[in-house]
Amino acid sequence: MVTPGVNERPRRLRWVAVAQALLWCAIGLGAFLLLAESVQNSAEFERLRPWILLVDLCGVIVLSVLLARKLWRLVRDYRAHVPGSRLTARTVGIFGGLVIAPLLIVYLSSLEFINRGIDSWFKVEVKQGLNDALRLSRAALDLRMREYSARTVALAAALTDAAPAGVQSRLDAERRASQATEIALFGPHEHILAASLENPLEGLPSQLPADLVRQVVQHRPYVSLEPLTGGQYLIRTAAALGDAAAGHDGRFVVAVYPVPAQLAALSEAVQSSYHQYGDLAALREPLKYSFRLTLTLVLLLAMLAAIYGAIFSAQRLVRPVQDLIEGTRAVGKGDFGTRLPLPSRDEMGFLVHSFNDMTKRLRRARAEATHSQQAVERERERLAIILARLSTGVLAIDRSMVVRTANEAAGAILGTDLSGATGRSLPELAGGNERLGQFVAALAVRFAAGREEWREQLDLDGAAGRRTLMCACTPLPGEDSDMGFVIVFDDITTLLQAQRDAAWGEVARRLAHEIKNPLTPIQLSAERLRRRLLSGMNERDAEILERGTRTIVQQVQTMQQMVNAFSEYARAPEMQISRFSLNQLITEVADLYRSQAPHTRIRLDLDEHLEGIEADRGRVRQILNNLVTNALEALDGVGTPTLEIATRLEAGADAEYAAVTVCDNGPGFPRELLGKVFDPYVTSKPKGTGLGLAIVKKIIEEHGGRIDADNRPEGGARVRMVLPVKDSTRSATGGARERLDQLRRERA
Amino acid sequence: MLRGVPTRDGLTRGSLLTTLCVMALASWGPAYGDALDGVLEVRSAYVNLDKGVFLLHARIDYPISPAIRSALRDGLTLTVDLEARVDRQRRFWFNLNIVELTLRRELSYHAVSDRYVVRDTKSGDQESFATLDEALGYLGKVDAWPILVEPQLDGGNYTISVRAGVRRGHLPASLRAILFWTDDWARVSEWYSWLLPA
Repeated sequence: MVTPGVNERPRRLRWVAVAQALLWCAIGLGAFLLLAESVQNSAEFERLRPWILLVDLCGVIVLSVLLARKLWRLVRDYRAHVPGSRLTARTVGIFGGLVIAPLLIVYLSSLEFINRGIDSWFKVEVKQGLNDALRLSRAALDLRMREYSARTVALAAALTDAAPAGVQSRLDAERRASQATEIALFGPHEHILAASLENPLEGLPSQLPADLVRQVVQHRPYVSLEPLTGGQYLIRTAAALGDAAAGHDGRFVVAVYPVPAQLAALSEAVQSSYHQYGDLAALREPLKYSFRLTLTLVLLLAMLAAIYGAIFSAQRLVRPVQDLIEGTRAVGKGDFGTRLPLPSRDEMGFLVHSFNDMTKRLRRARAEATHSQQAVERERERLAIILARLSTGVLAIDRSMVVRTANEAAGAILGTDLSGATGRSLPELAGGNERLGQFVAALAVRFAAGREEWREQLDLDGAAGRRTLMCACTPLPGEDSDMGFVIVFDDITTLLQAQRDAAWGEVARRLAHEIKNPLTPIQLSAERLRRRLLSGMNERDAEILERGTRTIVQQVQTMQQMVNAFSEYARAPEMQISRFSLNQLITEVADLYRSQAPHTRIRLDLDEHLEGIEADRGRVRQILNNLVTNALEALDGVGTPTLEIATRLEAGADAEYAAVTVCDNGPGFPRELLGKVFDPYVTSKPKGTGLGLAIVKKIIEEHGGRIDADNRPEGGARVRMVLPVKDSTRSATGGARERLDQLRRERA
Repeated sequence: MLRGVPTRDGLTRGSLLTTLCVMALASWGPAYGDALDGVLEVRSAYVNLDKGVFLLHARIDYPISPAIRSALRDGLTLTVDLEARVDRQRRFWFNLNIVELTLRRELSYHAVSDRYVVRDTKSGDQESFATLDEALGYLGKVDAWPILVEPQLDGGNYTISVRAGVRRGHLPASLRAILFWTDDWARVSEWYSWLLPA
């Protein structure tokens, strides 16, 4: 990923690379100029040659190192599958091939051209022509040399017997006659005996060559052609005096003759050409070798430079592609902050610009999506909190009754834990749960009937009694046809029960008020009738009256008991709240009933942590009496009657509660009465008033508690009541007194 | 006669560079050949002070190989150099060069006269010899070559070095660059050095 801030470094590196390239170009140009300058001067060439070599060598080494570095990186990236490396390698191959192939062709052609060209410079005909010219010049000069040599020999013969006085004149005459520049007569040990010079001011004859003396000593005539400065020649001849057979007496004559200027010039021209050709001919093989070597070096340098340039160009070309690949990968991984540097203003630059624009739009879109998602998530959390706090059950299911959402209240109402029910079908969850099974069956019946929106009351029977739900179903809106339904339901069992309690309380109050009042006059009237009339009647009538009034009084008393019971149910006396030990009270009640029902086993399971409870002790005792009495009556006829009373200290969310469970092993509550056992006039006993458990429930509620009744799985009835340990807990809802007033108002 | 024990001077900068470059080039191919094969050395040298002028006398052996003979007779010109330098010795730095002179002469075969010619390139004077041995003998004997005057010395120790060289002469400038790598007609002898007595 390349950000705009990171572009500074590549820019700096680019300037450094350009500066290095310029530096090396300057050094190379300098070396070339040095070479061009030095070849004009041999001494300068020798002095600068090592430096030129060093500069060239450094250039080659640097280029090789750079190329090796580039190649190594290319191979490394290729093996590591770096994005763009294969494209770079392919481009380098193509570029290199396009450059190297013509280079090789030019190289081979140049080699052939050099070999043929240099060979053509040194044709046999040229060499032969020069040799012929040389021989011609030598022939022309040899003629004169022989002529001069003969004159010198003749002069030597003439001087052999000449008188010493006439030698000088003879030499002068001969010099003038032969146009020699000097003629000298030497004696033993090269002593000058006489000399005739063309320029007497020179004083002495010229120095003798060593080979001249050696040859003359052997009595052989000497002749030589000596080149002079300025293209002049001279012919030096010498001859010994005397007869060879008689031996050498040490005297010899030396003559020096000039060569005509025209002949000398022609000979010098031939000599000059011979020299030039010789110098060049000596260069033939070195020249070919040098050309081949130079060409090879140039080829190698060009190939190195071409490959380096190919790699460099390929990397520059592929760099934006690599950036695009890396950027695409980054975008693929979700990094939309990728921004690529603009390589140029060409098509690749347009592509990179489009990529940057795309990532910018993606980044903006993702930010908006994230923002929306966060808003939705916040709404979802808010809704979840609301649903969790609702006492109303909310259940969202699809058309195949798979749970999508369920709040805690739904689980509590349906008697199961629905916290992990999302994604599971309701029928699967209903296995083993009777109440939920009935709920699912009720839903299935309505969905099967094509009813998607309804509001009805559902009665669900279970081991804990009947629960009544007010249920409303609505299809969820949405484009998807399988959006499903949302089912909202309330447990209105308590509400209905309260309504029934209120109705029964009113009935009891009216009964107590309307029926109780006439009973007393009826009883009094009946007693008065018996008292007045009984004494004046015969025995038979008296008996009839006696029986009739007794029946009336008994029935009135029975009705009064019933009215009193109703009155007891209806009235709400002041509670005397005090702190006492519930365990001790239970123990007392149990001891009382152990004496009354010795055959019944009364077992206590009391929680020692339950130390005390704040309640109306007398009314709690009444509750216990009613429950134990009911249980003992239910145990009548049971083989081994057993009654169990247990207490537990339970911690609620905001307070502690005392739970009292009374169980027996009797027949239990009839199934049809479960849920209604606390209603007035609901009893399974032939003699019961049906108000016992109703009064118990009423007292429990006055204490802010609750009571449930169900059957134990192993058989027998079970009544469980829960009372707040502290009255202040009840105060949270107004205390016992206010609770009582509230109940009164509800019943009213 | 001012003569000392000849010593081998250390590698100078030029010779070091040359050695390095030659070693590098040698790895590229046969750059130098053996055209000037044979002994090339300064056999002896000394200076004497004559009227305030130091005169150098040297005896040099120049190579005489069949290749040289053949090449000379084919028209090649050889340049024969005698280099002399005087350096003032310094303890902690490179020696200071006082004098650097070259006696340059050319040896060629005069085909028309069938003689070997030795020419002083500076004065233009030339001598001819009937044989190559005579010409080389002439070249190998240098007497009374003035290289230094007394006022140039201001105390301290001085080293006199003499070196002989042979190379192809008359190389055209246009070809000199091309023959940059393969000029095997060039050799120099070891430096013949001695200390100038104080």
